[in-house]
Amino acid sequence: MKHVREDLTALLDGALPASRRAEVEAHLAGCGACRAERERLAAVLSACAALPPGPPPAPGFEQRFYARLAREKGVRPSAWRRLRLSPWRFAVPAAGLGAAAAVAVAVWQARADRLEMAQHLDLLENYVVVASLDSVESAEDVEVVTHLDELRGAKP
Amino acid sequence: MAPDPDAALMLAFQGGDEAAFRALFEKHGRAMMAFCQKFVKEPARAEELAQDIFLKLYRSADRYSASARFTTFLYRIATNHCLNEVRRGEYRLRRDPAPADGDGEPQDLDSLSGPAATPEEEAHGRALERSVRSLLEGLPEKQRAAFVLARFEGMPYEEIAVVLSTTVPSVKSLVHRATVAAAAALAPWTPLRGEEGS
Repeated sequence: MKHVREDLTALLDGALPASRRAEVEAHLAGCGACRAERERLAAVLSACAALPPGPPPAPGFEQRFYARLAREKGVRPSAWRRLRLSPWRFAVPAAGLGAAAAVAVAVWQARADRLEMAQHLDLLENYVVVASLDSVESAEDVEVVTHLDELRGAKP
Repeated sequence: MAPDPDAALMLAFQGGDEAAFRALFEKHGRAMMAFCQKFVKEPARAEELAQDIFLKLYRSADRYSASARFTTFLYRIATNHCLNEVRRGEYRLRRDPAPADGDGEPQDLDSLSGPAATPEEEAHGRALERSVRSLLEGLPEKQRAAFVLARFEGMPYEEIAVVLSTTVPSVKSLVHRATVAAAAALAPWTPLRGEEGS
């Protein structure tokens, strides 16, 4: 019969249905390996049960909570309830923010497009001039063209 | 099903009875802090988390339905809150190979081992506690939550499934895998029955 290790923790926790529990116990009666595993897992359950409790709260635990509750109630509870009960209150500000964001993106994109086009126009202008000299034959030549403005600016 | 007195208190609070909410906090607040200590190391932080959880309970009272056990509702809030805290990573338990005689943190020794504990028992309790912390820190979050709920809160698998929004077979697998991991991690502290006294 197939080993029953996957069921052993549930067996120890009393979480197996009766029919499955009977099958697992029948297997355990004849399988030393699964019995050893059950003992190993049972030892974990015992250790966890024996784990000492953590340190108790510092004195004034309840009072600190009630003080915090009073502070939060003083400021927010009505707001919590309004927000929870009126989801449409979020809708108008959210729509406004969304529209503003869309406009900002569109403006930014348009500006970026204009800048890119301007760069290309500059390049085209220079390219036309240089191309007439039959001097643009390679990518390196294009690189030179893109820097013609700098050369122009360097002239006295 | 036996009537759930906590559910009655929660329903009373829904109806505006603040004293009912206080009764719930006085009954479960300290247990909630102990639960939070399985997710964060510092007691002060655990207290803060327990306060957060009860504030969430206060705010979400109108979402409670009497068809659910109160503890299921409470631990669902608590588990989500603690796992979020762990995810933030700010208070993850450290893997601290601390010296065997303690790690220098303030501890309430009486609470660790009881008034009758011998020094050896106290040292054993502290070492076991450190091993459990290290184990919990290393577990995947759902295994960790399932293990804590099963091993330390004594919650049945069906209730854990509701708390974790999963199925009972999934809980069975989560708890088993975590327990197998624990068997390896806690081996020095878990003498097999046949070895005891040897």
